[in-house]
Amino acid sequence: MFWRKRSAEDFAEEIKAHLELETEDLRNEGLSQEEAQWRAKQAFGSVRAVQEQFYLRRRWQWLDRIARDLRFGFRSLRHSPGFALTAILTVALGVGANTAVFSVMNAVLLRSLPVADPSRVVYLRPSNPPRNTGTIASQETISYPVYAELRREVHAMQPVMAYVPLATGKVAVRFDAVPEEAEGEMVSGQFFSGLGVGMALGHGFSEQDETNHAPLAVLSYKYWTRRFERDPSVAGKTLYVNSVPMTIIGVAAKGFEGVETGESADFWIPLQNRPELNAYANPPEDGKLYIANPKWWCLRLIGRLAPGVSKAQALAQLQPVFQAAAYTGLGNPQQGEKPPILRLMDAKSFPGYERSYGTPIRVLMMMVSLVLIIALSNVAMLLLARNAARQREFAVRLALGATRAILLRQLLIESLLLVTGGGALAWVFAVFASQTLGLWARIESSLAPDRTVLVFTLGLLILAAIVFGLAPLRIALATGVTSAIKTSQATAQADAGQSRTGRIVVVMQLMFCVVLLVGAGLLIRTLRNLEQTPLGMDVNGLVVFGIKPNTQTLAETNAFYRELLTRLRELPGVQGTTIMQERLGSGWSANNNMKVDGRLPEVRNRESRTVRSNVVGPDFFQTLGVPVLMGRDFNSSDTSNSPHVGIVNETFVKRFLHGQHPLGHRIGPASINWDMEIVGVVKDHKYRSIDEDPIPMAWYMYAQIPVLSEMQVELRVHGNPLEIVPTAAKVVAQMDPNLPLIQPMTQRAQFDTTIAQPILFARLAAFFGLLAVLLVATGLYGVLSYRVNMRTAEIGLRMAVGARRRQVVWMIVKDSLALTAVGVLTGAPLAMLIGQALRGSLYGVKAFDAMSYLIAILGVGAIALGASAMPAGRAASVDPLKALRIE
Amino acid sequence: MTTQKKSDDRISLLQGTLDLLILKTLVFKPCHGQGIARSILRRSEEVLFVDHGSLYVALQRLEDRKWISAEWGISENNRRARFYCLTATGRAQLVEKSSEWQRLTRAMGLILEAGEGPQGEEA
Repeated sequence: MFWRKRSAEDFAEEIKAHLELETEDLRNEGLSQEEAQWRAKQAFGSVRAVQEQFYLRRRWQWLDRIARDLRFGFRSLRHSPGFALTAILTVALGVGANTAVFSVMNAVLLRSLPVADPSRVVYLRPSNPPRNTGTIASQETISYPVYAELRREVHAMQPVMAYVPLATGKVAVRFDAVPEEAEGEMVSGQFFSGLGVGMALGHGFSEQDETNHAPLAVLSYKYWTRRFERDPSVAGKTLYVNSVPMTIIGVAAKGFEGVETGESADFWIPLQNRPELNAYANPPEDGKLYIANPKWWCLRLIGRLAPGVSKAQALAQLQPVFQAAAYTGLGNPQQGEKPPILRLMDAKSFPGYERSYGTPIRVLMMMVSLVLIIALSNVAMLLLARNAARQREFAVRLALGATRAILLRQLLIESLLLVTGGGALAWVFAVFASQTLGLWARIESSLAPDRTVLVFTLGLLILAAIVFGLAPLRIALATGVTSAIKTSQATAQADAGQSRTGRIVVVMQLMFCVVLLVGAGLLIRTLRNLEQTPLGMDVNGLVVFGIKPNTQTLAETNAFYRELLTRLRELPGVQGTTIMQERLGSGWSANNNMKVDGRLPEVRNRESRTVRSNVVGPDFFQTLGVPVLMGRDFNSSDTSNSPHVGIVNETFVKRFLHGQHPLGHRIGPASINWDMEIVGVVKDHKYRSIDEDPIPMAWYMYAQIPVLSEMQVELRVHGNPLEIVPTAAKVVAQMDPNLPLIQPMTQRAQFDTTIAQPILFARLAAFFGLLAVLLVATGLYGVLSYRVNMRTAEIGLRMAVGARRRQVVWMIVKDSLALTAVGVLTGAPLAMLIGQALRGSLYGVKAFDAMSYLIAILGVGAIALGASAMPAGRAASVDPLKALRIE
Repeated sequence: MTTQKKSDDRISLLQGTLDLLILKTLVFKPCHGQGIARSILRRSEEVLFVDHGSLYVALQRLEDRKWISAEWGISENNRRARFYCLTATGRAQLVEKSSEWQRLTRAMGLILEAGEGPQGEEA
C-alpha cells in the first residue's frame, strides 16, 4: 500500500547497467567484446519478458490485494447477513429518498431553461396593464400590438419572442383518421432560433413563417416519441389542428417542451391569423382576433439580450417603447391610473414553479435530510457496535502480523461494500420514486435524473462512506496487540466511550423523529381536512369532458349543443346531463364586477365586488346535485328568444341583496350593457377548487349569451362514471368525426387535482415519518441490545446478589425513557420551526396543533418502549451463573 | 497476510530458494544485481547458476515486500549500478527462511537416506 512506485524506465536502466557490468567482467575473463556481450545477453534471457513481468507483477499484486480485501469483506459481511442487510437497506432508503426529492427539486427549482446560454434570456413581464384590457395573468401577458412594437428594438433584444397556447388545455388535432387532443402553442418565427433550441429532426420556423402565418408545425420530442414512435418519416406529413392542415417540418431537441411552468407543449405552430386558431381558443371579440385586439393581453414574451447589452440597458431602451405602445388603440389613460411598467425577469428557472412548489419542496428536502442523518448515524452506530464486538478478532489479527493499515483498509473496504450496495439500490429506488413523485405532483417537465442529481447522489454516498470509514478508524487505532489478552478490559473501555457517543446519537435521532412526526401529523390532518371539505354537490357518478365544435355561427353552435345534450340524455344509464363553460375544479373561473338593478351594488366593510360567473346549460344544478333554495334551475325553455335569466348563490344574495327578496332583480356584467333576471338562488358550493372560500357567484344560460365556443359536458350516470366515456365519444363522432373528447375524467378526480399538492405533500411526509420511526426503532434496538450484551456480566452479578428481574428490566427501560425524554424536549422546539415553515401549506390546522404534537410525542415514546422491550427481556433472562462464567 | 505468504512459499519452493540466496548474499554488504549473480555462482562453486532475468524479477519482488531496499550508486569499476541492502524485516526473514530451509533439507535428508516406506504415526 505504501511503496513508492518504481518506473519501468528505472528498471530498464538497471538491466542496461547489469549487461554492461557483466560484459566487462566477461572481458576481464578474456573474452572478446563481441562474445562477452553475447554471453551477457544470453545469461540474462529475454529482456522484454522480464520487463513485462516487472510491469504485470505490480498490476497483478495491486489487483490481487484488492480482490483479496473484497473477498475478505464479502466473507465477513456474509457472516452477519442481518447486519449487512439492515445497513444496505438503510443506506438505500436514506440516500434514495434524498435523491428522489432532490431530483424533483432539481427539475423544478434549480434546472435552467433548456435553451442555449440561459443567462442571457429574460421574460418580459408587465405590471399595471391599462385598466380596460383583459389579461390571462395581469403580471405576465401582453397584447400583440405591444409585442409588435417591442420586437423592433433590436438593439436591446435580439429577438423578442412571443408564445401563446391554442387553448387553456388541449386542442383537437388529427393525424390519421382518429381525432385526438394535444397541447399546442403559437410562437414567433424566431422562437427556436432565438432561444437556441436545436432540432432533433428537420428545421424550425423562420421569421417569414410568422409574417405569412405559414401552416407549419414543429413537434416536441416527447410528443414525437409518444405519438409517432420517433418515426422520421413524419416530417412533411399533415397534422390537422382544429381541422386546419399544418405541415410537420421538424422535431425540437429532446427535453425542450416550452418555456412556461406546467405546460409541456406537444407541438408549435407560427403565430396564426384565423378564427379557428385564436389564442386560448377564444371566440373573436368584436370580430377581432388576438392579433388585431389591443384590449386582449394574452401573449407571453421572452427575449434574448442583444450582444453586449446588459439587462438594465435593455430595459432602459424598452421601457418608453412599452409605455407608449401600451395605450395604442385604447385611448388615454383614465385619471389616477398607474403607468404600465415593463420588467425583465431572469429565465434561469421556471418562474411559476418557485411560487407553487418552492416552500413545500424545500421543507420536504429538509425533512428528507433529517431522515438521511438518522439513517447514516444508524449505520455508523451499527458499525461501531459490530467493530467493538470484533475487538478480540482485531487483536488476534494484529498479533498474527497484520498491520493497522491493513486492518483499517479491510474495515474501509467493508464500509465501501455497504455503501456501494446501498447506493446501487438507492439509485433504482430513486428513479422509480421520482417518477411517482412527478405523477403525484403533476409536474410535466422531465424528472429524469441528470448529471446534477448524479453528482448529488455520489456526494451523499461519499459522505456515507466517510462517516462509515471514521467508525472503523477509531477501532483500528484503539486496538493494540497486547489487548488480545486483556479482552474484557478492552471491551469495558470501549463500552464507556461507546455508550456516550451512542446516547448522543440516539437522542439526536429521537429529536429528529419528533420533528418529522409533527410535520407529518400537521400535513396529514391538512389532507384529511381537505378531503372531508364538503363540495356542496354530489360528485359521485359525475364525469366531465370538453367539446369544441367546428361551427361558424352562434346559431350553429347553439344548435350543436342542443342536439348533443338531447342525444347524450337518451343514452342508457345517463341520469342527467348539462354543459358549462368553465370546468368545475379546474382552477379556472370568469371573474368580474356585476351591476345589480343597473348599478354597481353598495358593499359593507369594503368587501370585494368581484363575482365569479359561469355559463351553463339546462338542469345544471339538478345534474350536479346542488340544492336550489329559491326559484328554479335553468331549463330547455330558456332560449335565445325568451327573457334572459340568471341564477346566483347564497353569498351573492347576502352581499349584494342583503335583506331583500332576490328573485326578480336584474343583474349583468359591469362592462357591457346586457342583463338578466334572477330566477333562482342556489346553495353555496365549490367552483374552482376544494380549498376556496365562499364567494358571490352568478350563472348565465348558455343559449342566451352572444359568444359561445368550447364547453365542458357534465354527465351523471349510474355506476362507474368513466364507463360512459367511449359511448359518449361515439355520440360525438356521429355528429362530427373530427371532435375528440377533451380531457375526460371524473368530476371527483378533477376536483382532486386542486389538492394534488397537499396530497403529495402529506403522503411524502407520512412516508418520511414512517421511515424515521422505523430507522429510529432499529437504531435504538441495536444500541440497547449492544449495551445489554456488554453488561451481561454486570447484570449477572446484580442478579446473583439478589436483583429481581423487574429491577433489571426497569434498569434498561429507564435508560431508554431518559433518552426519549431528552429527545422529545429538544425535538419539540425544533418541530415548531417546521410548523412555522409549513404554515402556508396547512388547511384547517394551526401550526401549533396540540394533537399533532401529542401524537408525535406518544409515537416516539412507544417506539422507545417497543425497541427496548426485547433487549430488556433478554437482560432479565440472563442466567447469573452463565454470565459470570463468561468472564 | 501471514497465512497468504505461507501458501506462496509452499507452492513455489524454487522461488523461495532464490529469495533466500539473495538475502544471504546481502548479509555481508550491499551489492548490485550483477554482483549478486556472480556471488551466488562463485559461492556455490558454480553449481547454482541463476538466470539473470529471473534474478531481477526476484529482486523487485523482495524490494516490494520491503525485505531489501535499493539505491543507485557507483560500482567498484566506476559504473552506475543499483545497490541492494538488507532491511530489518529482510534480516528477520533471512533467519526464519534459513531455519525453514534447514528443517526442510533435514527432513528431506531423513527420508531420502532412510529409504523406507511410510510408517504408522500417532494421531
